[in-house]
This record gives sequence, C-alpha cells and structure tokens, in this order.
Amino acid sequence: MTPQALMDGLIAGSMIGLGAIGITLTYAILRFANFAHGELLSWGAYLAMTASGVIGFAVPQLTVPVGPFSFGWSLPLAGILAMALTALLALVVDRALFGRLRARGSAVIILVMASFGAALALRNLLEFLYTSQPGYYTRALQISKPIIDGMRATPDQLLVLALAAVAVVAVHLMLTRSAAGRSMRAVAENPHLSAITGVDVRAVIRTVWILGAVLACLAGIMSGLLVQIRPQMGHDLLLPLFAAAILGGIGSVPGAMLAGLIVGLAEAMTVQVIGAEWRAAVSFVILVAVLLLRPQGLFGRVR
Amino acid sequence: MSSAVLSTQALISGYEPDMPIINGVDLTVSDGEFVVLLGPNGAGKSTLVKTIAGLVPVHSGRVTLKGNDITEVPPHRKLAHGLAFVPQTENIFATMTIRENLQLAAQVLDRPRRAARIDALLDMFPDLGSRPGARAGALSGGQRQMLAVARALIIEPSVLILDEPSAGLSPKVVTEVFAQLRRINAAGVTTVLVEQNVKAGLQIATRGVILVEGRIAHDAPAEQLLGDPVVSQLYLGGTPKELA
Repeated sequence: MTPQALMDGLIAGSMIGLGAIGITLTYAILRFANFAHGELLSWGAYLAMTASGVIGFAVPQLTVPVGPFSFGWSLPLAGILAMALTALLALVVDRALFGRLRARGSAVIILVMASFGAALALRNLLEFLYTSQPGYYTRALQISKPIIDGMRATPDQLLVLALAAVAVVAVHLMLTRSAAGRSMRAVAENPHLSAITGVDVRAVIRTVWILGAVLACLAGIMSGLLVQIRPQMGHDLLLPLFAAAILGGIGSVPGAMLAGLIVGLAEAMTVQVIGAEWRAAVSFVILVAVLLLRPQGLFGRVR
Repeated sequence: MSSAVLSTQALISGYEPDMPIINGVDLTVSDGEFVVLLGPNGAGKSTLVKTIAGLVPVHSGRVTLKGNDITEVPPHRKLAHGLAFVPQTENIFATMTIRENLQLAAQVLDRPRRAARIDALLDMFPDLGSRPGARAGALSGGQRQMLAVARALIIEPSVLILDEPSAGLSPKVVTEVFAQLRRINAAGVTTVLVEQNVKAGLQIATRGVILVEGRIAHDAPAEQLLGDPVVSQLYLGGTPKELA
C-alpha cells in the first residue's frame, strides 16, 4: 500500500466512521438497523450548502477563504445551523414514524422496512428540491501539499481528519464520562431497568437521534467539501457505514471509528491493487466476513 | 396505628388490554411494614409489583403513594415519589462498574447529595465497597442482588419493592440477603417482597398477602399465616408443621 493510498483511505474512513457512530448508537439503543441514516448525511450536506449560500449572500465577506482552506467562515457557520436542522429532521422522522411504531410495539422488521421507506422519501425529496445535479461548497481549487515522501494532502483533507478525530474523542468522552452518556449506555443495556433507575428513556432516545444526526451532518459536510454534494451521497455510503458499525461492534463508538478507518483503508487498497470498480465490493466482503467469523465485531459484546 | 404509605384500589392490570392478570386488588401497606406477597405460580405476584412500579399497563383502578396518585406517573418519575423497585432478573447493569451502577441511580438526586449517598451505600455493603471499580457482570449472584438493592436504596425510598430477590441463590446467600432486608426494614423503609420461598418469606415479614388468580385470597399477620392449616394446605404447598 502506497503512502498516498493510506492517506486516501484515512480520509474516506474518517467520514465512514463518523456516519457509523450514528448507526451503531441507533442500533444499540433503538434496536433496529436504520437504513435512513445515510439520508441524514445527504440532508446535512445540502442544508449546509443552502445555509452557506444564504449567509454568503447576506455577508459576502464571509465567503473569502480562511487561511489555507478552500472555504470562508460562511461554511462553518452554515455547518452549525445545518447540524441543528438535521437533528430536527431526525427528531421529526422519529416522531412521525419510528416513535409511533415503537409505541405500537411493532416488530424490528417493521421498523427496518419503515426506515427503507423513510430513506426513499427523504432521498427523493432531496432530489426534487435540489435536482440530481451535483453541488459544491466552493469552486476554489486546492493544491495538495507533500506530507511525507509519496503522501500528499490538501489543507481541507487534513482539516477533515482532525475534525473527525476531535468529534470521535468528544463523543467517546461524552458516553463514558458524562451522566447523559451513562444514561445512554444504560438504555442500550436494559431500557426497563433504566426507567426504574430514574432514566428518562424518551429523553435518551431524543439524545441519540440528535447525536447521530449531528455526526451524520458533519460527515456529509466533509464528504461534500472533499468530493461533491449529491442526493445519492448518503445512500452510496450506506453499505460502508453498516460494515463499519458491525465490524466495530454494535454500541462501540471507538469501534465504529476504528472500523470506519479499516473500511476506508481497505477500499483504498482495493482501488490500488485490484481496481476502482471493486471498491464497492469491499464493504460487502467485510460485512459478510464479520457476520460469519465474529458477529459481535471488534469491541462488541456477545449477546 | 401507622398510616398507609402505599395502596392500590380496585387495581386491574395486564400486558394486553383484554387479558387482565391482576383482577381488582385492594392492598394497603402501612408505614414501616414488611409485607410478603405469596401465592402459586401465575398468581400475579410479579405482575402486581411491576404494575405498581409502572412497568405493566393499568387497565383501571389506582395506585397511591403517600396519598399521591401515581397510577399514570411514568416509571422514571416514581423514584421522585419515593418508590424503589428491584426486579427479579437483570436488575443490575452488567457492563458497568459497581460505582457506575450507583452513579446512574444517584442521577435523580440533587448534585450535592450524590457522592455522599454513593459512599453511604458502599459502606453499607462492604462486599461492594471493597471494589467499587469491579464490573457488575463479574459479581456473584448474591453480590448482584446486594448491588440491585443498593441501587434501589440510593434515593432513600419510602417504599422498597423486591421481586423474588432469592431466586437462583444458594440458601446461605438467601439468608444473608434476607438479613440485609430485615436491617433495611428495621431502619424504617417500608418493604414489599415477592417471594416463592414461603417459609423464609413469612419468617422475615410482618404480614403476608396471598394472591390467587390476580386477587387477594388471604391477608393476615405472617405468624398467623404460618400457623394456619387451611392456608398452608391450599396455597403454600404443605402443612404448618412442614413449613415451620
């Protein structure tokens, strides 16, 4: 594996890892595979693009690139707004769909099928609103700079790596050191016992949606910044996201991030060694291999 | 006479709307009492206490605690009213440490009280206090029950309800658990215990309530039930001599 493939894999893996954290938390606490999670990435990316455009239109000085990066302050500000809106979208979908099904005591398969439906609706609504033409946060060209011999990266790419590392450490600390995190771990382990221990399970579920949506939005913005923004972008990442969530072990945040990096690196290596057309198959192979050999993943518990 | 602290009035409940398991229970527990709920399998003992804890839907009737109607109060808010419940199984968070189990339970308390209550409980249960960083899933059956009780006691409840804490434990460990429950009750905590072990249950409690098919069939002082030949023959699986 060349140093450049390593860098490419780490960048792709950091975005996959961030998205996988949301999936692993939803899976651990709500106990279903949410196939609509990828759409939160897409919506986050588009909401940030819209907000960035509005902010840039209102205050043109904020579109001037900051330091070595390709974007101005309008994008970080728009990103914060987009995270709040993506979280709101996740809460609305839960209130309108998943919450009702949970209240009825619906089987897991019903929730999974509902998430397929939600994904279709959200993706097509996005395409209806923005068309299928790709969008961009910036048209500025960035020149990659040498990091070490044979490895180059743009400032935007290095920022994405740093942001992903900060985000995963922050979420890990929140889960392991804070009262909110303790409550989330408790609900993941036993919702009924959590309730009689004084944990507001509904509040925990809302927190999980908000956290997952914020991270998905961040991953969507990163992907949009480094590649492009398309209505299909979240859907295309779905298989790598699930591969990472399952490889990392359901419920494990560090596991999801590490597994995201592994999936990203495996994809980059495949592109280099076998060919780009096999990139999409990598996640599938990892997913099948993990389910057959170590279903609990790297850091998951045997249930 | 002590005042009623917990009561149910014409309580009907069950998991499905058209299939009640509790069929009109009127139960009053006085302040400081130690009540044991007995009865054959399927009588509704566990369902009754789960209903009081808010884990089983109430079809009709009321549950009151210290005069407040808590029938519709969600389970996580019942602790604020002073009700603590220890389920029969899966009553600790196995992936967390002993201290984390207690910290989680202490979250309902005001921040300044939390550390003091955790320390008090670790002192009260030396087996737990000697290794608060141990993972709860690695504890023995008896230690798990102690941790479950400690978790429930952290709020200094008015009423402590336990669903078969002796299940799956050796007789020696049951004796230790029951001795601890007796001490807790002697300290003023009103206690309601669901128990299959009739002899042990009636020996530890001050009053026995026998449920049959979701209704109260007998309600009398524990000593009286232990010596009642008809009750022991019909519901408790033996003669008074065997029970004693």
